[in-house]
Amino acid sequence: MAKNKVVNKMMKLLSEENLEKYQVTLNSSKKTEMVVERGEISLLRTIADTNLRITAINKNKKASVNINRIDDSSLEEATKNILELLETSEIDEAYDISPFQESKQFEIGSKVPNKDDMYKLLIQFIEEVKLEYPKLNISESSLTFNFTEVNLVNSNGVDYLQTKGIYNFYVVFTAKDGENISSMNFASFSMNELDKNLLDTATVRSRIKENIEQIETKPITEKFVGDVLITPDYLADLIATFAAIGLSDGALIAGTSVLKDSIGKKIASEKLSICSNPRSKQICDGYSITSDGFEAKDIMIIEKGVLKSHLLGLYGAKKTAKKRAENSGSAYVVDSGEVSYEDMIKKVKKGILLSRFSGGNPSPSGDFSGIAKNSYYIEDGKVQYPISETMIAGNIYDMFNNIKEISKEQVNFGNSIMPWLLTTGVTISGK
Amino acid sequence: MTQLSKFSKHFANYTELRVQENQSMSITFLNGNLVGNEKKFTSGVSSRVFLNGSWGFASNPEMDDANIIDTIKLANENAEFLSGRQSKNKRIYEGAAFSVSHNFGTKKNRISQKELMDFVKEIDGYIVKKFADVTSRTVGLNFLSMEKTLLTSVGSNRYSLWPRTMIFVKLGVEENGDPINAYEVFGGRGHFEDLFTNPSDLFEDVDKLYEHLKNKSKGVYADAGEKEVILDADLAGILAHEAIGHTTEADIVLGGSIAADYVNKEVSSNLITLTDYAHSYNGNLCPIPIFVDDEGTKAEDVVIIKDGVLKEFMHNKETAAIFKTIAKGNARAYQYFDEPLVRMRNTAIEPGKSKLKDMIASIEDGYYFMKTGNGQADSTSEFMFAVTVGYEIKNGKLARGIRDTTIAGLAFDVLKSVTMVSDDMVWGSWGMCGKKQMIPVGMGGPAIKCRINVGGK
Repeated sequence: MAKNKVVNKMMKLLSEENLEKYQVTLNSSKKTEMVVERGEISLLRTIADTNLRITAINKNKKASVNINRIDDSSLEEATKNILELLETSEIDEAYDISPFQESKQFEIGSKVPNKDDMYKLLIQFIEEVKLEYPKLNISESSLTFNFTEVNLVNSNGVDYLQTKGIYNFYVVFTAKDGENISSMNFASFSMNELDKNLLDTATVRSRIKENIEQIETKPITEKFVGDVLITPDYLADLIATFAAIGLSDGALIAGTSVLKDSIGKKIASEKLSICSNPRSKQICDGYSITSDGFEAKDIMIIEKGVLKSHLLGLYGAKKTAKKRAENSGSAYVVDSGEVSYEDMIKKVKKGILLSRFSGGNPSPSGDFSGIAKNSYYIEDGKVQYPISETMIAGNIYDMFNNIKEISKEQVNFGNSIMPWLLTTGVTISGK
Repeated sequence: MTQLSKFSKHFANYTELRVQENQSMSITFLNGNLVGNEKKFTSGVSSRVFLNGSWGFASNPEMDDANIIDTIKLANENAEFLSGRQSKNKRIYEGAAFSVSHNFGTKKNRISQKELMDFVKEIDGYIVKKFADVTSRTVGLNFLSMEKTLLTSVGSNRYSLWPRTMIFVKLGVEENGDPINAYEVFGGRGHFEDLFTNPSDLFEDVDKLYEHLKNKSKGVYADAGEKEVILDADLAGILAHEAIGHTTEADIVLGGSIAADYVNKEVSSNLITLTDYAHSYNGNLCPIPIFVDDEGTKAEDVVIIKDGVLKEFMHNKETAAIFKTIAKGNARAYQYFDEPLVRMRNTAIEPGKSKLKDMIASIEDGYYFMKTGNGQADSTSEFMFAVTVGYEIKNGKLARGIRDTTIAGLAFDVLKSVTMVSDDMVWGSWGMCGKKQMIPVGMGGPAIKCRINVGGK
């Protein structure tokens, strides 16, 4: 394969330097974006970009160069830069590239955007919001078509080509009534085709509706340890944070992950199962190849509370003498439970519905603290009122161990599928 | 960089044409393993066109004459696509034409990649040799430069080269099985050669970082609740930028910021004057000196709060027209393919008259917060900042270190509670602000004494 002449030329230049191992990845992208500001479509943007990433390993030394100009002289200059970086690099036997795998082509989504339909959908969204939610202010919104073509080739004979064309929508908003305004919130999702009403997809409508309610808030006036009902939007963020501090290359190489020796052990409630499914048909915004040159596969990370896989790349796996994950993470899917969202609320004696969290990065031990944003106070099984100036503190690992229920409803964001999750043991403190 | 004047004949409407190259380089050692050794070059041309109230934008990584002309043409077509479907009676502030050239790059001979690598390795080696109980360490070097040439249909012509070099050190120890971290960043505007000479020059600061880390590991969790505290320059700077600055960016104001109704109203203690400096403070260059912005507007200081009263917002050409005022050079773009947005430049509270030691002595039971990890705020001015280094203040003296905590509140309320402002000014040059695009920012200030909500465990 490697039909791209730029990739072929770069591989040839590296081959002429007699380097032991090398990998070339050409990422060509074209983005078409319609931007909404102050309730109007204000900008149409067309961006073409190219990124050529060259990684070389020689005598157990490694270097990488990224360029976006791909004329012959730029490729030659990149070769010189790689050689200079290699010369000054450090010896590490864990540096490697992926072994030979059969050449493959992968296609996700479509290749060209439909600008007229993008415009119509976006205008429809703006008009529906103005009509149904007049107090809402769309601070910013965009509908984007992202097309990427990735050609990854290495000196072991790996040759993958992935094309992907996906629409992404996001909207940021506040609501205002007189001098009172709500906290900013946002919603987003990805889709293959322009076949969805933007307002009625994922959590766009529910978050907008809640934002209107959040014009009037009050702080919780006490400090207590209570339940937290986590929304699908925030659960997606929480799992990404969990992966970063517990499962990633950095945390495991540094030895700061408390899960470093936990494969096969129970680390969470048996109600919790998490997969990373970048190849699943349910995940439209997935991926087929990893950046270190492997075909990606769907994997189980936590199965009924038991840790099944870290998220180690090739280098991290060799460095820590642990198993390489068969994908690069993300595209997370949390299995649904058996209780409805409504019934979960009824089970909360005292706690909050946590929709968004603004907090510092958690410590490696999982401790975190910050503000509960766009959230609600729950007491005696009923949602009471929207809250402000309310801080929460807890531990991510404890939250996963203390799960009470997971909802049977899930939300598909296109890049993840999340239910609501009810946990407990979190300190909630008001003003 | 490419000469752009020959393309002005292709400007059919209000047009900006920008050629830009960003370069970055990183070296990262994690526990002595070289996990990052990388260079990145990103360059291209972009054009933005304003037509009957709509904007069209296009960009291309290829910068030969034909591609530049095609990029201008595509930007026009995009503006026409929108303006053909919606009628708007909008205009922009065009301002006057300015021509400037600023090169902040080094005039010294550049040192080799090997010397850079050796410099970082020597700091890493120092840590290994000196601190036996450090269980994790990250030492690295990050370099970023932005080189831009701009031509506008108004006639502004600008060249700028801005480099930034930072060395970062993150140390970790374990206390009763809990991993505890702290980090510090050194450097700022300029190439490596203008900022660093010998690794040993940084050893004293690394020792201080280790001392803070040990105090933190043996320290306590902060008590939750509203406390009397001193925010050192690092935190006062992020408060100025994140929690006040963003609410006074005119696009955020139009999007529903709480500051919309605050002009000419008292919003803070009268000890507070808060400014977004264009390029200089007290005759010295700020971390991000902007003389002409990415819309071709001459940059001037924006005095956001003067003696406690909110005075003005930050604008681009579009919001300036909406507010019937002038733009002062806040429109900035990060990559060649990014459109200029309303961005801060160097945002800080002006120094006061108090001495830091007197401020600490004035608190019976509170905290001295020194370093922040990250921060967020929203349009209500409600903010949250992580505190990664801090101490208790007991009876006017610094006491035990504290573990990671967060502080939160409504920024305008916090600024109303300010009773003392220190007489020093410390700039942080490492800031990267995310608002659709990333952008380097400067922030800083004096220390302030205020009341703030502290998150405990």
